[in-house]
Amino acid sequence: MTNVSAGAKSMTIGEATLWPLFAVLAFLCLIGAGFAHDAPFAFHASLGCAASIAAAFAILNRYYDRPAKPPPQEINGRPNYNLGPIKFASVAAMFWGIAGFAVGLIIASQLAWPALNLDLPWTSFGRLRPLHTSAVIFAFGGNVLIATSFYVVQKTCRTRLAGDLAPWFVVLGYNFFILIAGTGYLLGVTQSKEYAEPEWYADLWLTIVWVTYLLVFLATLVKRKEPHIFVANWFYLAFIVTIAVLHLGNNPALPVSVFGSKSYIAWGGVQDAMFQWWYGHNAVGFFLTAGFLAIMYYFIPKRAERPIYSYRLSIIHFWALIFLYIWAGPHHLHYTALPDWAQTLGMTFSIMLWMPSWGGMINGLMTLSGAWDKLRTDPVLRMLVVSVAFYGMSTFEGPIMAIKVVNSLSHYTDWTIGHVHSGALGWVGFVSFGALYCLVPWAWNRNGLYSLKLVNWHFWIATLGIVLYISAMWVSGILQGLMWRAYTSLGFLEYSFIETVEAMHPFYIIRAAGGALFLIGALIMAFNLWMTVKAGEAEEARAAGRLQPAE
Amino acid sequence: MKAIVSVENLVSQFVLNFWTPVFVGIFLAIVCYALRPRNKAPFDAAAKMPLRED
Repeated sequence: MTNVSAGAKSMTIGEATLWPLFAVLAFLCLIGAGFAHDAPFAFHASLGCAASIAAAFAILNRYYDRPAKPPPQEINGRPNYNLGPIKFASVAAMFWGIAGFAVGLIIASQLAWPALNLDLPWTSFGRLRPLHTSAVIFAFGGNVLIATSFYVVQKTCRTRLAGDLAPWFVVLGYNFFILIAGTGYLLGVTQSKEYAEPEWYADLWLTIVWVTYLLVFLATLVKRKEPHIFVANWFYLAFIVTIAVLHLGNNPALPVSVFGSKSYIAWGGVQDAMFQWWYGHNAVGFFLTAGFLAIMYYFIPKRAERPIYSYRLSIIHFWALIFLYIWAGPHHLHYTALPDWAQTLGMTFSIMLWMPSWGGMINGLMTLSGAWDKLRTDPVLRMLVVSVAFYGMSTFEGPIMAIKVVNSLSHYTDWTIGHVHSGALGWVGFVSFGALYCLVPWAWNRNGLYSLKLVNWHFWIATLGIVLYISAMWVSGILQGLMWRAYTSLGFLEYSFIETVEAMHPFYIIRAAGGALFLIGALIMAFNLWMTVKAGEAEEARAAGRLQPAE
Repeated sequence: MKAIVSVENLVSQFVLNFWTPVFVGIFLAIVCYALRPRNKAPFDAAAKMPLRED
């Protein structure tokens, strides 16, 4: 990669090509901003221009500041792990997590008290809702996945992350995509596809970032020092490859103008719906499941200090998940214009998904064999294990809801929202919190967390929040579904729509309270992690000191 | 009555006759690989990979 001769400093190929590329991109963005057809596009082009100039300067500055030789691959026979991008992604995850949970709380409150929409376009539910979903899934979850995947692939391959600027490009480029997507929603820029709202230019940028992510990950696997590729890396790779395929499959849009934010998708009608939910459900399957299962397979054994319960089961788990998940999407389109056979296919594959889901859950839980007592003393491990229990619960509920007769009651009601959040808060949230509680002390070279007591508080407050959230949504969802289908003896609908909305009001308040507790837990976590970086395990040491017997 | 030949029919015939058995075969081969007694020792070693310190 380098053309460094002894003593003399020269640019790497990456540095020499990237900074002029960013300079050209800055110029193109400037032209885009000048000729923009709409204000949000001008704003985004200006952001792109500023970010490109900053990137070009950062690359040049880094070149002048760095030593002539590239960082060594090994120091004293041990791999010289690249932790910088991991630290950045960990901090970004915490930041976006709190932002995403806070916006979730705002929109939950808006549903209970509509006046909180403030009668402004930027703060309306319709714009804040995709901001919430993207912030928690792609910004929080995505940064957790990038941070942990870069850590796990290095550790289990015993080699430094491939590339010099590339890992930084992935982390910073991904967060820039989040910025463009998020500000776009507030300004009304959307292609109205659930979980794929960003417009064509943000999609193009994400494609470049994601392909670089894939190349960094693959190149690290190629130069591994371990002959065997650990199972977590298979899950990460499936996540990266499939998200690339889904992103390209669901976003072939033609912009109205290269100077405007609006675009139209290549196909319409039921074909578009089918593509959208093939994408949407596999975003759940490969972003929110495969990626976080990789976390489970590395962080639970590591934290419990026990080997994986059954490595054989992990291989079957992986391939069963890969073979089945991709077909489940049509269950989002029951009783629509989608052909009936396609709906039944989606339902059948959803039910079959019970097997890999529960196989994986059992494998994660049984990894604690011989270490169950640690659940009493280690709240981080408890968080990880409870996340796997929530995974089991929500993957049990999902296939039931995919059955057509059940779906005829549950679809379009709050039951779906409750189901999604038992998976999102319980599984993805908790496994991410557990991973970050492990990762931050490792990456910043601390012996432990600042305070396990605070982790305990976080665990119980957040668990209470989840229970309030999902139980409120179950009751309100089933209530809503039953009220919609209730007929009088004369064959008229028994309830008007507004009566169903009124009936849900108390549950919306309980749901918002649950969300508030979840947010409070995350704030406690952010303080704990901040103090871990700043002061190390100071609080733990003090607590241990207090318990020492007097001499 | 002779079936109407259309793109959809050809695609579904191809999927039924070719891909379904191929995928099932691949999956069964993976299961055999995972359960093969010879592979037990390397898999047990791999299960301990997160615990190794460098």
